[in-house]
Amino acid sequence: MKLKSVSKILLAVLLLLVPLLFRNFNYGILICGFIGIYIIAISGLDLVFGYCGQISMGHAAFFAIGAYGSALLHKYLHLPILLTMVIAAVIATLIGALLAYPASKLVFHFLSLATVAFGEIVYQLVAQSPGGITGNFTGFYTDSINLLGFKISTNTRFYYFALVCVCGFLLMKHRLVKSKEGRAFLAIRENSHAADGMGIDVKRYKIIAFATSAFYTAFAGSMYAHYVRFISPETFSNRQSVMFLTMLLFGGTASLSGPIMGAAAVLLLNEGLRFAERYQMLIYGFMLLVVILLMPGGIYGIIKKRIDKRRVVS
Amino acid sequence: MLIQVVISGLVIGCVYGLIALGYSLIYKASGLMSFAQGDMLTLGAFLGYSFYGIFKLPFVISLVCVVLCMFFLGLFLEKAIIRTLLKNHVLPVYIVLATIAISYIIQNAAMLIWGTQTLSFPQIFPIPLVGVLGVKVQPEALFCILMSLVCMVALHIFMKYTRFGTAMRAAAMDATAARACGINVSFSTGVTWGLSAGVAATGGILLGPIYGVYTMLGAIIGRKGFSSAVIGGFGNMYGAIVGGILLGLVETCTSAYISSAYKDIISYSVLLLFLFVKPTGLFNEQALTD
Amino acid sequence: MLTVKDVTLRFGGLTAVNNVSLTIKQGTINGLIGPNGAGKTTFFNLISGVYTPNEGEIVFDGVKLNGKKCFEINHIGMSRTYQVINLFRKMTVVENVMVGLHPKMKSGYFSAILGTKGQREEEKEVLEKALDWLDFVGLRGNAYEMSGSLSYGKQRLLEIVRALASNPKLLLLDEPAAGMNSKEKEELFDILRKIQNLGVTILMIEHDMKLMMGITDYIFVLNYGKKLAEGTPVQIQNNPEVIAAYLGED
Repeated sequence: MKLKSVSKILLAVLLLLVPLLFRNFNYGILICGFIGIYIIAISGLDLVFGYCGQISMGHAAFFAIGAYGSALLHKYLHLPILLTMVIAAVIATLIGALLAYPASKLVFHFLSLATVAFGEIVYQLVAQSPGGITGNFTGFYTDSINLLGFKISTNTRFYYFALVCVCGFLLMKHRLVKSKEGRAFLAIRENSHAADGMGIDVKRYKIIAFATSAFYTAFAGSMYAHYVRFISPETFSNRQSVMFLTMLLFGGTASLSGPIMGAAAVLLLNEGLRFAERYQMLIYGFMLLVVILLMPGGIYGIIKKRIDKRRVVS
Repeated sequence: MLIQVVISGLVIGCVYGLIALGYSLIYKASGLMSFAQGDMLTLGAFLGYSFYGIFKLPFVISLVCVVLCMFFLGLFLEKAIIRTLLKNHVLPVYIVLATIAISYIIQNAAMLIWGTQTLSFPQIFPIPLVGVLGVKVQPEALFCILMSLVCMVALHIFMKYTRFGTAMRAAAMDATAARACGINVSFSTGVTWGLSAGVAATGGILLGPIYGVYTMLGAIIGRKGFSSAVIGGFGNMYGAIVGGILLGLVETCTSAYISSAYKDIISYSVLLLFLFVKPTGLFNEQALTD
Repeated sequence: MLTVKDVTLRFGGLTAVNNVSLTIKQGTINGLIGPNGAGKTTFFNLISGVYTPNEGEIVFDGVKLNGKKCFEINHIGMSRTYQVINLFRKMTVVENVMVGLHPKMKSGYFSAILGTKGQREEEKEVLEKALDWLDFVGLRGNAYEMSGSLSYGKQRLLEIVRALASNPKLLLLDEPAAGMNSKEKEELFDILRKIQNLGVTILMIEHDMKLMMGITDYIFVLNYGKKLAEGTPVQIQNNPEVIAAYLGED
C-alpha cells in the first residue's frame, strides 16, 4: 500500500516536470499536449464501447462538433473560449443523446453502420457548410484559450492545462464506472437481456453512455481546435474515428489506464513513422492487423495478465 | 437532361448494387461485415487497367483475369485473417477493424504501385458515343448497366441451382447442421468472400472507363454500398441491386436538380432513416434479429 | 398475487401458449412442469415481459402487466433467473448482486460524477447488502472472483441471489437445479425454504421431480402450450392425464 502511494507521488512529480525535462525540446511538449487531448477523447469512447459494449465508428463527428462548435461560437458570438468549449461539448452531448435514442435498438453491425453514416454527415456538413461558415476545405483559424486574461498560447502552458483536464475527466470517469451507472453499463455489455430482467432500463443507460462519451470527445475536440488554432475537415474524417478505436483497442478497453497507454503509444508510433511519410498509412495498416491478430487485449490486457499470473503464483 | 440523369444514376446505382451484393453475400454466409469491399473495387479497376491498358490483353480476357485474381485474394484474406480471428474468438469489432486495416493496406499499396494520378482507362468499344432515346451516352455506361444485371442473374443461378450454391446457403443458415451433412463450411465461407471480391472487382472494371481509375475510387462507393444493402434489406440479393439503383437515382437527381454538395449527406441520411425507421429494408429481410 | 387470465401467445401461425389461466397465492412455492417444448419458458417470458400476450391479461399485485417492459415489471416486484445461465460473466460475484440491487438505488448520474457524500454512503450500503446476500447462499468467499469462473452450481445460486437482491415479491426460477449435483440440490432445497421464510412467493420450472414434489405447495402442468392440470403435488402425481403426457413423451 505504501509503495503504491509513493509511486503515485513520483508519477505526479514526473508529470509536473515534463516541460522542464523537455526544456530544449519544444516538439516533445507539443506531442504531450496532443496525447492529453487524445486521452480524453478515447476515454469517452471507452465509456460507450469498452464499458457499455456499444460500437461507435463515428466519434470523429463529436470531435468535430466540439472543435467547430467552440471555434464558431467564439468567432460569431464573441464568447470567451473556455465557455464556448463547454457549450460546444454540451451541444455534442445533446446530439449524442438524440442519435442514441433511435440507435439504441440496433445490434452491433448495424450500429456501426449508423455511426459511420452519422460521422460522414457531420464531415460533409463541415466540409461543405451552408454559407461556408466553417471555411469548408480551406479550414478555419481560431484563437488560443484565454483563462481570465491568461492566454494558454505556449506548448508548456497548454501542457499544464491538458494535464488538469485529463485528471478531471479521468476522475469523473473513475467515479462514474464505480457507481451504479457504471455497473449498469457493464451489465448491458455482458448480457443486455439479463440487465433488462434485473430492472435496468437498457435504452436509457445506452443513451447516457453515448451522451457522456460525446461530451468527452467533443471537449477534446475543442481543446484540439484552440491548441492548433487551425482546423480543417481532414482532421475529422472517418480515418480519425478509426484512429480513436485503434488507440483504444491498442491500449486496452474498460480501464482508466488503457486509453492513456493507447493514446501515447499510437501517437508516438505515428510520429516515429513520419520519416517514411509515403509508407505511413501502409505501415499503419499492417500494424493494425498485427495488433488485432496478436494482442487482442491491448497493452493493458497484457500487463493485467502478467499481474494476475504473479498473484496466482504467490 | 432527365434521360441523361437517369442513365448516369443507373450506372452508379448498378455499381452500388454490386458492392451491396458482396456485403449481402458475406453477411448471409458468415454474419460478418467487411469494410474492404470498396477497396476491392479500386483494386479491380487498377488490375483491369494494367491487364487491358498496359499489357494490351483483350478486354474479356482481362476481365476474367481480374475476377480470378480478386477471387483468390478474397479467399486468401478470409483464410489468412478472418478465419484466424474467428478461431481466436475475438470481439466482432476486431473483425471489422481488420477489414478496415486491409482497406488501408490496399489503398496505400495501390498508391505506391500505380501512383496518385487519376489514370484514364482505355475505351472498351470502338465508338465513343451512342444515341439512346435522343441523347448521346458512352457505350461503356450501357455496358456497365447490362453487366451488373448479368452478374446478379448469374449469381442467383449459381446460388440457387448449383450443388455448391445450395451448400453455401445451407452453411449460411445453420453452420453446425451443414457441417453434420458433410458440407465444408470453412471452405464455403471462404468462397463467399472470394465471390464478393470478384463481384466488387467487376464493378471496378465497369466503372473505370467512365470515372477514371484512382486510389480513392472505391472508398466512398464502398460506404454507399452499405446504404444500398440496408435499403434493400441487408442479406437480400435482389434488394441489394434495387437498393443500389434507387440510391444511384436519388443521388444523381439531387446533384442535377438541387446541389451536388448535398448528395452524400442525402444518401447517408437515407441510410440512417432506414436503420432507425425500417431496419429490415424494402424487402423485409430478417437480418436484424440477434 | 399473480393472476393470469386466458392468456394466449402466438408466433406467426404457431400458438406457443394457448388460453392459460392460473392464480398464484402469496407466500407459496409453486411448480410449473410439463414435457419438453410444453411452453414453460415461453410462459415465464410472457409474465416477465419479454413477450406481450396476444390475448388475455396478466395482473400482478393489482397492476396489469400487459405491454410493460421487463425492467418495469422488475420495479413492480417480480424478478427472475434464466434457464441458460445469464450472469454478467466479466463482473465480479459481488458486482452481479449489486446490479440486482440497482432498482433500489436512489442517487443519480450527477451525484456519481461529483462523488457526493450521499452517493458514496449509498454505494457502501449497497456493497454491505450485496455481501449479506452472498452470505445468504454461502458465496461470500467468492465475492471478488469473476462470476464466469464459478462452478456451475455456484453460478445457479448466484443467479438466484442476484434476482433476490431487489427484494421481489415474486421470484421466477427457471430450472434452478439444472446441472447441480445431489449435494448442491440439497443446499438449494434449504435455500428455497429460506427464501420462502423471507415472505417471497416462488414460481419455478424444474425437471427434478423429487425436488419439485418435496418443496412445492402447488403445481401447474403445461402441455402443448395448454394448462393440463393443477393441484397439490399428491394430486398431480395421481393425475392420469399428467402421467399419460409424461409417458407419451418417452
